[in-house]
Amino acid sequence: MAVKTEQKNGLAVCHVEGEIDINTAPDIKKAFDKLIGKKEPRVVINLAKVTYVDSSGLATLVEILKNMRSYGGKMKLSNMSPKIKSLFEITKLEKLFDIAVSEEDAISKFV
Amino acid sequence: MINLGRSGFLKNNKDRAGAIIIKIPSEIKLLRNVSSEILESLAPYKMEDAALFDIRLCIEEAVRNAIVHGNNCDKNRDVEVSYVVEHDKLIIEVADQGKGFDHKHLPDPTVEDNITRNNGRGVYLIKRLMDIVEYNESGNRLKMVKYLK
Repeated sequence: MAVKTEQKNGLAVCHVEGEIDINTAPDIKKAFDKLIGKKEPRVVINLAKVTYVDSSGLATLVEILKNMRSYGGKMKLSNMSPKIKSLFEITKLEKLFDIAVSEEDAISKFV
Repeated sequence: MINLGRSGFLKNNKDRAGAIIIKIPSEIKLLRNVSSEILESLAPYKMEDAALFDIRLCIEEAVRNAIVHGNNCDKNRDVEVSYVVEHDKLIIEVADQGKGFDHKHLPDPTVEDNITRNNGRGVYLIKRLMDIVEYNESGNRLKMVKYLK
C-alpha cells in the first residue's frame, strides 16, 4: 500500500495504491493524518490503483472523512473500480461520500 | 488439516464430509493465507474476478470477526475454517473458541444513525455477498455458501 500526494489546481490529490484492508488501514490513516493535521481544506482521493477494500478499509475512509469534516475540510473519492464502487453502494456509503467518476471530474467540482 | 500458524507447518486433512480444514492461531496477519488457500482451490472453476473478490472478502471478514470478536485476539485460541466444493457450491465454515454473540439482533450499518460508525459492516457484507449465511445458535460458528455457477 502506498499514498502519494500532489498539489493540483490548489488542492491535494492523493493517489492510493494497493489494498485498503485491516492490515493496511493504520498506514492509510497515518498518511491522511498528515493532511488532516495541516487542516487541508480540499482533498481528492484517487482510488484507481486500489485493488481491494474490506470493512476495515471502508471504516478507515469514513474516519478520514469525519476528521476532515470536523474542521470544515472537504473530500471527494474518484476512479473507483466497479467492484469497489459496488461495496459503497451495498453499504450505502455512496450517500455519505462525494464520489466522482474521474480525478478531473472531482477537481472540477471543487474549483 | 492445514495449519498456517506458528510453525508454518502445513498438513492436509479432510473431515468425513470431504471438507478441507484449516486451523490458525488468532493472528490477523494470517487472514490472507486462509483466503488465498481457498481461492486457489477454485481455479478449476474459472470464476470471474468480481466473484473471487466477493469470496475473498467474505472469508477475510468472517475470519477477522472470529479472531477479533470471537477469540479476542488471543493467540492461544484457534480459528477453524473448513471448505468444500460440492455440486457447484462452495461451502465455508468458520468457527472460533469464543462464547458467540447475538447474531439475530445486529444493528443495520446502512441506516443514518449507524452509517458513520467504525464497525458493523463485516457481517452485513457477508450476508449481502454470499448466497446462504447461517450461524449456529450461540454465534461462534458461521456457515457461508456461494453458488459457483
